[in-house]
Amino acid sequence: MPPPEDVEDGTQYSLATEYKGPPLPYDLPRAIPINVERIPVAAVVTDISCKLSLPVVQPILTADQPSKKLKSGVVLDPATVSPTSVIGFDEERVRDSENGASLLSGELSSSSSVLCASRSNSNGNSNELLSNGVGGSDSTIEFRDSFDKSGVVSDVNEKESVDCDELNQQDWVSNESVSSLDYRSSRVSSSKRGQASNSNVTNDYDDGLGGDTCDSKRPHNVTFCDIESDDVGLVDDENVSVDEPQIMRAKRELQCKGKRGSCYRCFKGNRFTEKELCIVCDSKYCSNCVLRAMGSMPEGRKCVTCIGFPIDESKRGSLGKCSRMLKRLLNELEVRQIMKAEKLCEANQLPPEYVCVNGKPLCHEELVILQACPNPPKQLKPGNYWYDKVSGLWGKEGQKPSKIISPHLNVGGPIRLDASNGNTQVYINGREITKVELRMLQLAGVQCAGNPHFWVNEDGSYQEEGQKNTKGYIWGKAGTKLVCAVLSLPVPSRYSNSFEEQLSSLSSRTVPDYLEQRTLQKLLLVGYSGSGTSTIFKQAKILYKDVPFSEDERENIKLKIQSNLYNYLGVILEGRERFEDESSVEMEKKQSSDDTEAVAGSSTDDINGKTTYSIGPRLKAFSDWLLKTMVSGNLEAIFPAASREYAPLVEELWKDAAIQATYNRKSELEMLPSVASYFLERAVDILRIDYEPSDLDILYAEGVTSSNGLACVDFSFPQTAPDDSIDVADQHDSLLRYQLIRVQAKGIGENCKWLEMFEDVGMVIFCVSLSDYDQYCLDGNGYSTNKMLLSRKLFETIVVHPTFDQMNFLLILNKFDLFEEKIERVPLTVCDWFDDFCPVISRNRNNSNSSNINHSPSLGHLAFHYIGVKFKRLYSSLTGRKLYVTPVKGLEPNSVDAALKYSREILKWDDERHNFSVSEYSFYSTDAGSFSH
Amino acid sequence: MSVAELKERHAAATETVNTLRERLKQKRLQLLDTDVAGYARSQGRSPVTFGPTDLVCCRNLQGHTGKVYSLDWTPERNRIVSASQDGRLIVWNALTSQKTHAIKLPCAWVMTCAFSPTGQSVACGGLDSVCSIFNLNSPTEKDGNLPVSRMLNGHKSYVSACQYVPDEETHLITSSGDQTCVLWDITTGLRTSVFGGEFQSGHTADVLSVSINGSNSRMFVSGSCDSTARLWDSRVASRAVGTFHGHEGDVNAVKFFPDGNRFGTGSDDGTCRLFDIRTGHQLQVYYQQHGDNEVPHVTSIAFSISGRLLFAGYSNRDCYVWDTLLAKVVLNLRSLQNSHEGRISCLGLSADGSALCTGSSDTNLKIWAFGGHRRVI
Repeated sequence: MPPPEDVEDGTQYSLATEYKGPPLPYDLPRAIPINVERIPVAAVVTDISCKLSLPVVQPILTADQPSKKLKSGVVLDPATVSPTSVIGFDEERVRDSENGASLLSGELSSSSSVLCASRSNSNGNSNELLSNGVGGSDSTIEFRDSFDKSGVVSDVNEKESVDCDELNQQDWVSNESVSSLDYRSSRVSSSKRGQASNSNVTNDYDDGLGGDTCDSKRPHNVTFCDIESDDVGLVDDENVSVDEPQIMRAKRELQCKGKRGSCYRCFKGNRFTEKELCIVCDSKYCSNCVLRAMGSMPEGRKCVTCIGFPIDESKRGSLGKCSRMLKRLLNELEVRQIMKAEKLCEANQLPPEYVCVNGKPLCHEELVILQACPNPPKQLKPGNYWYDKVSGLWGKEGQKPSKIISPHLNVGGPIRLDASNGNTQVYINGREITKVELRMLQLAGVQCAGNPHFWVNEDGSYQEEGQKNTKGYIWGKAGTKLVCAVLSLPVPSRYSNSFEEQLSSLSSRTVPDYLEQRTLQKLLLVGYSGSGTSTIFKQAKILYKDVPFSEDERENIKLKIQSNLYNYLGVILEGRERFEDESSVEMEKKQSSDDTEAVAGSSTDDINGKTTYSIGPRLKAFSDWLLKTMVSGNLEAIFPAASREYAPLVEELWKDAAIQATYNRKSELEMLPSVASYFLERAVDILRIDYEPSDLDILYAEGVTSSNGLACVDFSFPQTAPDDSIDVADQHDSLLRYQLIRVQAKGIGENCKWLEMFEDVGMVIFCVSLSDYDQYCLDGNGYSTNKMLLSRKLFETIVVHPTFDQMNFLLILNKFDLFEEKIERVPLTVCDWFDDFCPVISRNRNNSNSSNINHSPSLGHLAFHYIGVKFKRLYSSLTGRKLYVTPVKGLEPNSVDAALKYSREILKWDDERHNFSVSEYSFYSTDAGSFSH
Repeated sequence: MSVAELKERHAAATETVNTLRERLKQKRLQLLDTDVAGYARSQGRSPVTFGPTDLVCCRNLQGHTGKVYSLDWTPERNRIVSASQDGRLIVWNALTSQKTHAIKLPCAWVMTCAFSPTGQSVACGGLDSVCSIFNLNSPTEKDGNLPVSRMLNGHKSYVSACQYVPDEETHLITSSGDQTCVLWDITTGLRTSVFGGEFQSGHTADVLSVSINGSNSRMFVSGSCDSTARLWDSRVASRAVGTFHGHEGDVNAVKFFPDGNRFGTGSDDGTCRLFDIRTGHQLQVYYQQHGDNEVPHVTSIAFSISGRLLFAGYSNRDCYVWDTLLAKVVLNLRSLQNSHEGRISCLGLSADGSALCTGSSDTNLKIWAFGGHRRVI
């Protein structure tokens, strides 16, 4: 590709973007702040001569260019054109100021199509004349045209000898039609976005301009106007068929085809050559150009420039239906991927606001509900619909019912009396029915005398309003369905699900991929090892999942618990040996003082040296073997399988007095985690072959989630209280899914190479174990450090990580139950960080516990608040923002539930903070304070 | 022998090793009379020149919805696999720029991907610490996803890089955040050997990348957060063949030079370096002075087929093309038209060297090729 082209392209482009003129006196552009870069204004053109050419965006042709051509006097009366050209000037400025509301160009396209039609008759001379006329009419525009000419057509010129004027002119014409066509499509999109008032104005010009196209345009505007507005009255006034835009667009398509059938990129071929259409802008490409023009088709068959734009609604039906051309060009796998992308990508989905149900445009969630229900309306197109939530009747606004869909879907507004525009004075579920329906009811044997008001359920049973007893079933008689078929009325589908079934399907419903991105909130759960992130993760699984752990998982967990148990046992046996040595040494001392000479050191196990910590030879052998296996590190490989074999031995061992004596000194065994006692006390049960770990066991079990460093669980909060569902805002929460991601703390502190992979999380939940304040472990350098300080260090590292700039942090102070108990024994000040903790209620503490709870906050609560404030200060000194803090007892489901719901609230406030002013936010933040305690 | 005595002897031995190492370094410095660029200049060589259209973006692969983290080419047939933040692997036909497979991964946090030598399967690894193998020919499941055909479990931390052993469909080398590299047997799913870890000669921090010698597939090199690169013989897992010091930051990328006697590294210290595996010497440092104090990290590197060019992606969106002989930047991909809007996170040359593929945080991959009639260098 010759470079000058691209340079020119750039200048063309910057001409459009760099305009900084005065604001318009005209309210046209304000309605839609469209990013001009994203408007499908031009087809992609590249140099076909060069294999390695780049796709080049065809320069924007000015809107008023066609009208200029008209002025140059070939076809139309100048008087009719003049108003357009006036707007044309405005239009140019509009485009320059990036608003690009190309309403006008739409009508221009129609005029230019007229022009082209006439031009096809004319000879090359008149074409030449045309382009000359363009050259003379307006200097800036002429400039662009010449750029255009050199830029886009130059290579064609070079290749196919410049003297061939006629060919060049033809290229010109087709080139022009590309641009005009694009304008048309952008016009459609802009009017869709609610430029109804302005487009009406232009329609007036339309009337004056070309009588043949304007009549098809008007209903189009009107239709979208009523889709867009929530104004019920307006909709009532205009009972225009919803199908109209489709029909109208189809017409336009034909017009374009009729003009010139060449490829939009190489300008070769005729209307009979096979071509692929862009589903956004309708550009047509021949088989040589389609791959270049459409690139890798991330959203299906769209020009590169159209990627990201909503599709032409008239093409919705053909989504995912592959043409022969693509099948020929690409292999099956590639075609499948393209079609899949075309059907499923977000940009190609039906825009929910185009679907109005009972006069209310839908939101995303409602559309999903509608489309994901067991019995959805087929081939949903934009338009106005009415929906009878009780019976499931569904139809177009102002028409008889067309289908019976799943009832009780919470979409749209309440049904209106005149939804189907009936005039029979007979009502079904508050809707005046049409004559056809009345006829059907009569044939079905329903008594319709006296203008009754019926109440029809989804199963077809009907009652008269105000009466209790069911009068019958509409669909009960065999003939009714036949009658319905004759009258083209819908009958319930075979699988009309009951309400309960639907509810269950609602919860297990899969959210389509494109919505998942939008509705999935990710919560990153981190904390120093031992802070209980795993417990919280498991708790969330148990709380929110129907099946928290699969059979496989449970089996693995069982093995894990059992091998953990052997580990604990090993720790105790190790401790026993130590204690035995110690006590035998003591005993020796005693004995030597008693002048009873001790036997050789090797025989301390003998009767002479027997201490409380000694065990029998058989158990001793087992113990030695167990310890040896532990040291060699393959305990986990052996034990789960051998657990049954050794179960009786373990039982015996556990009951042995020496072990019990050791166990009583468990506080001296640092390696023994606090949860070990929970399992050790039930050792006999756990080692049974038929042992089934309970949820509580799983909760207590160590190492269940940390098998692979990262674990995540998707869940949604169940709707508990019925009063929750009344709130409309909460209603859509059922779709909001949360993903709790738990990562192992190991390695975070040193290099956060992969922390940036979590930049899309909604919030970081940092977990700190409160009871760590008196515990020590070895840090990276081998020094014994307070675990609370290690937690703080990790917290600092994560909080200041650039990935989490402006991220919400929730601090979970975990193990509050342990902490409350521990703080009574060990003063908080053992941790350096907390050395200025001096509770003011110390005098009360002499009283019994119960009185403490009643009168003033317990020491535990005070200490919790103190630590919370410590972290808050640290956080705000590092980031200048507010830290959310909540206490959690990891082993108590309600506590974890509350903490996770708190995190949901934080995310909600965050959303609302973006929507509302700061003052409103402060209102919420006070709320937050009250919630956290 | 008592513990104290053992400790003493250990300390003495460590001391000896350190002094020996120091002497080795001294000797090397003494012998190191010039670097590649100095020699090439003295020979009167001039750097490669690039015209404005010599390297052009000829394909734009769109389809990911998240940052692209990794890519790999097939040895033939011109296909590319890419891994992205959106939790998908996409297999591309580089010629038509179409997708042939889009694989939704069970764990979305993928960091690396690789094509098998025959192009029949792809491997990927990430934060789930598992290297997953997908057979591209296996039938899709009901939900349209490709099933995992093999899970390579065993790493204790994230899998940062993976590469198939050339011409061996069943062997794969991974590097991991647990400071080890592992040679896997895919058929059994077991570790054949573990490089590093508890052994003294292993890396002392997360291993971030591996590269297998193209001409002698038993040798591979790994780059790590301990700012060293280590050379390994896959038959001798117990100790590294060589340790290459020099970088002052995490070594993010290593890549063997096409001749197999040298390898390049890219690091957080903003430099790329060229090391010789026969002498253990550092041959050249590639560093471009920047105006501001912020030193951009090197995220990924690749050599052209002749080795004359080194492509290096930086964290500030630059992507330099270095002349490896003269250590001069001859082109910056960022300044070319149609270049990426985000930083380039991964680079790869096609097996025949005719095209360069770059993956970027702007979610796109681009294929660059020589636009002129110049021979590929």
